[in-house]
Amino acid sequence: MAEGKLCNRKPINTEEELKELMADRGGRKYYEEMESLDVDQDALWSSIRKTFLSRLKTWIEICARCGMCADSCFFYLANDKDPTQVPSYKIQSTLGEIVRKKGKVDNEFMRMTMDTAWSKCTCCNRCAIYCPFGIDMGVMFSYVRGLCFSQGFVPWEMKIGSGMHRVYRAQMDVTTEDWVDTVEFEEEGIEDEYPGMKIPVDKENADILYTLNAREAKHYPEDISEAAILFNLAGENWTVPSEGWEETSLTMFAGDWEGCKMQVENVYDAMDRLKPKRMVVTECGHAYRATILEGPYWAGLKSGKTPIESIHYVEWVAEVLRSGKLKIDPSKKIKEPVTLQDSCNYIRNGGLREVTREIMSYLAEDFREMTPCKDHNFCCGGGGGLNGIGRYHKQRNAGLKVKRDQILATGAKFVIAPCHNCWDAIRDMEGIYKIGIKWSFLKPLLLDMAIIPDHFKPEEE
Amino acid sequence: MFKNILFATTVSPDCDDAASYAFDMAMKYNAKLYIYHVFGLPSHGYSRFVINVKTGEKETYSKEYDTLVKEEIADTYSELIDQYSNCEIDCTIGAPGTEILRKIKKEKIDAVIMGAHHQVEDAEAIRYRNVTGDTMQRVAKSAPCPVLIISRPFTKNLWNLRNILCGTDFSKASLAAFRFALKFAKVNKSKLHLFHAVDITGRQFGKVPTQSEIEELVNQARNRMEEIYLPEMDGYMKIETAVWEGIPYVEILKYAREQDIDLIAMAHHTGSIFHKKDILGSTIEEVVLRSLCPVASINRMNVLENYEGFLA
Repeated sequence: MAEGKLCNRKPINTEEELKELMADRGGRKYYEEMESLDVDQDALWSSIRKTFLSRLKTWIEICARCGMCADSCFFYLANDKDPTQVPSYKIQSTLGEIVRKKGKVDNEFMRMTMDTAWSKCTCCNRCAIYCPFGIDMGVMFSYVRGLCFSQGFVPWEMKIGSGMHRVYRAQMDVTTEDWVDTVEFEEEGIEDEYPGMKIPVDKENADILYTLNAREAKHYPEDISEAAILFNLAGENWTVPSEGWEETSLTMFAGDWEGCKMQVENVYDAMDRLKPKRMVVTECGHAYRATILEGPYWAGLKSGKTPIESIHYVEWVAEVLRSGKLKIDPSKKIKEPVTLQDSCNYIRNGGLREVTREIMSYLAEDFREMTPCKDHNFCCGGGGGLNGIGRYHKQRNAGLKVKRDQILATGAKFVIAPCHNCWDAIRDMEGIYKIGIKWSFLKPLLLDMAIIPDHFKPEEE
Repeated sequence: MFKNILFATTVSPDCDDAASYAFDMAMKYNAKLYIYHVFGLPSHGYSRFVINVKTGEKETYSKEYDTLVKEEIADTYSELIDQYSNCEIDCTIGAPGTEILRKIKKEKIDAVIMGAHHQVEDAEAIRYRNVTGDTMQRVAKSAPCPVLIISRPFTKNLWNLRNILCGTDFSKASLAAFRFALKFAKVNKSKLHLFHAVDITGRQFGKVPTQSEIEELVNQARNRMEEIYLPEMDGYMKIETAVWEGIPYVEILKYAREQDIDLIAMAHHTGSIFHKKDILGSTIEEVVLRSLCPVASINRMNVLENYEGFLA
C-alpha cells in the first residue's frame, strides 16, 4: 500500500524523522506525496467500529439537517452564508459519508475531509449550544481529525506538532536542560529588579505547580518572569517542574490521541512527583482543555479529573484580586474602553465566564462586552491549530472578519486576550484588516497596575 | 581586554556604523567577533511561520532559509570580513532581545555592539510596537556586560579614550556604570567626567522653578555625588565632576561636546522592562540616538565581576 517518505500513516517518533519533515519547506513534498497516499480502508473501518460509539452514532443519525447550526458557525457567517459551511453539512459530507460507506473512501475524499476538518472547523463547539439535539460538531470533527491522522491525511504543521510532543514532550524543541536554563536566566533578571524573588524549580509540596506553553520557554521567557513576579507579589508558595512543565497539546489539534496521552501523562507525573496542592496553567486556552478537561480521559483516569485540583490562570488572578493578595493601584486601572476575547476552550468549554468578568471589574473602568459574549462568543478565528497551518491561511483570514466586526462594534480599541491562539489571531487580524487596535495578555497589565509590597522594592527607592 | 565581542545586527543600513565600530574594536583587542542576526519574530501560538524582522514579511523557517540569511550577512559585511576574518556569522529565529541575551551567555561575550534604530509602528501588539527599540532596551538592561550602542558615524580616533563621561542619576545601576567607567578610565589613563543633570522639566506640573530652587537642587546633587562617589574613587585623581541643570539628555550631550568626550557610560536605568511607558523617551535612549561618541550601557554589578581579572 503506497505511502510517502514524509507523508505516511506512521507518527513521528524520532528527532531524525522530525528534522527531515521540517526540512521540507512549507510541506511541498509532503503534500505532493499525500496525493498518492493510499487509504487503508480496512484499518479505517476497523477503527470506526471500535471507536464510533453510541453518542457519535446517535448524533450522526438524528441530525435532521435543520440548519439551526448554520448561523452559529463563524465560517458560515464570514463566507456569505455559503451552504457548504453549515456545520451539519460539513460533518455529514465527511464523517457521515465515511460511516455510510463503511470506510470505502478514496484518497481524494480523505484530502477533502482533511481540508474540511482543519480549515472549516476550529472545534470551538459553538454549534452545540444552538443545535436542538445538542449535537456537537466540534467533538465530531475532533474525532474526524483522529481518523485522518491515523490515515496520514494531516496538515504538515500538525504532523510536525505531534512529532514535537512525541520527541520532546513539548510543542517545540525545548529540552529539559534548555527549560531549566531559561528559568535560571529569567530568575537572574527578576532578582535584579525585585530583590529576593525566586523561580523555584521542583519544589515539593508547594501550594501551586505552574505549567505553561512551550512558546513562552522558547521565545517569550519574559512571560515566565511576569508570572513569577506576580506569584511572588501575591506571596504564593509555588514552583515549576523541571519535567512535565508543558501544558499545550498540538497532538490534540492533530488528532494524535496516542500522543495526547503521552503528553498529558508527563504533566500528571510531575504532579505525582512534586505533590503540589494545585496546578495553575498559563494564559492559554487549548492547554487548559487538553490537560484539565480532556487529559484525564486520555490518561484513563476514572475520576475524569486531573490528579490534583487544576485551575486556569484567570481563576488564580480572580482569586488573588478578590482576596487582596494582589492589590491593584486604582489610579492605574485601564481608563480607555476595553473589551475581552473569550477563549472557547476555557469559557464555553470550561465555564469560566464569570471569573473573567470579575477580573475586568478590578482592572477596567470602561469594560465593554462583545456581542455575543461569554459562552456565546465566537472563536477568535484561529483556534484548533488553524493559525499555524499555511495551507489554510486564506480560509483563516476570511474567518477573522467575524471577530473584527465584533470588536469594532464595542467601540473599544483595546482587547484583552488571555490565550496564546486568540492573541495571535487578533494580531494577524490587525495586520490584515488594520482596524487600529492593540491587545494584550493579562500578565503585563497586572504588572503595570499591581502595588509592589515594600519588601520587594529595590533598595534605592 | 575584550575576548569575545558580539555584534548584533539587523543587517540593515541602520547597523553600518556599528559594524565598522565592531570590526575596529575586535581588531584592536584581537577578539573573536560574533556577527549575530535574529531574523524572525515567532508567534505566541503554534506556527511554523516567522515574521522577517527586516522586511515584515511572513516566512517559513527552514535550514535552506537559514543558509540564505547567513549568506546575505556575509555579503553585506564582506569588505569588513576581508580585513578581519576572526569572526563567526550566526542567526536564529526568536524574540531578538531574548536571543541576543542567550547568545551573550552561551559565547561568554564581554562586550556587545548594537546599532541604534528607531523603526516604529509595526502592526504589532503593544509589546512589539518598536521591535528594534525594544531589543536595545532589553539587551542593554539585562546584559551582564557593557552594551555599546552606535547610532552615528564617528570621525575621530575611537581608541584614544582621553575623556570618559559617566552620567549618573544616583541609582544602584548608575553605580555599576560608574565603577565600570572608573576601571576603564584607569586602564586607558583617561580623564573621568562624573556628570549629573538636574531635571528641571515637568517639575511640579509645569511650574517653573525659581532660580534659588534650582540652585538648591544643584547643591543637593553635588552633595549626593560626593557622598556616593567620593569613597569609590580609590585615589584616582583624573576625575572631574559637574552638575548642570536642564533637560538631562541635552545637558549630557552638551557637556560631552564641550569636553570632547570619547565615550559615554550610563546605566540604562528605566525602572522595569515591563513598564513600557517609563522607558520610551528615557534619557539614555535620547543620548544614544544623538550622541557623537559611542554610548556604553552598564546596569549590573556583575559586569564588574566579569572584568575583575584584567581590569584590576
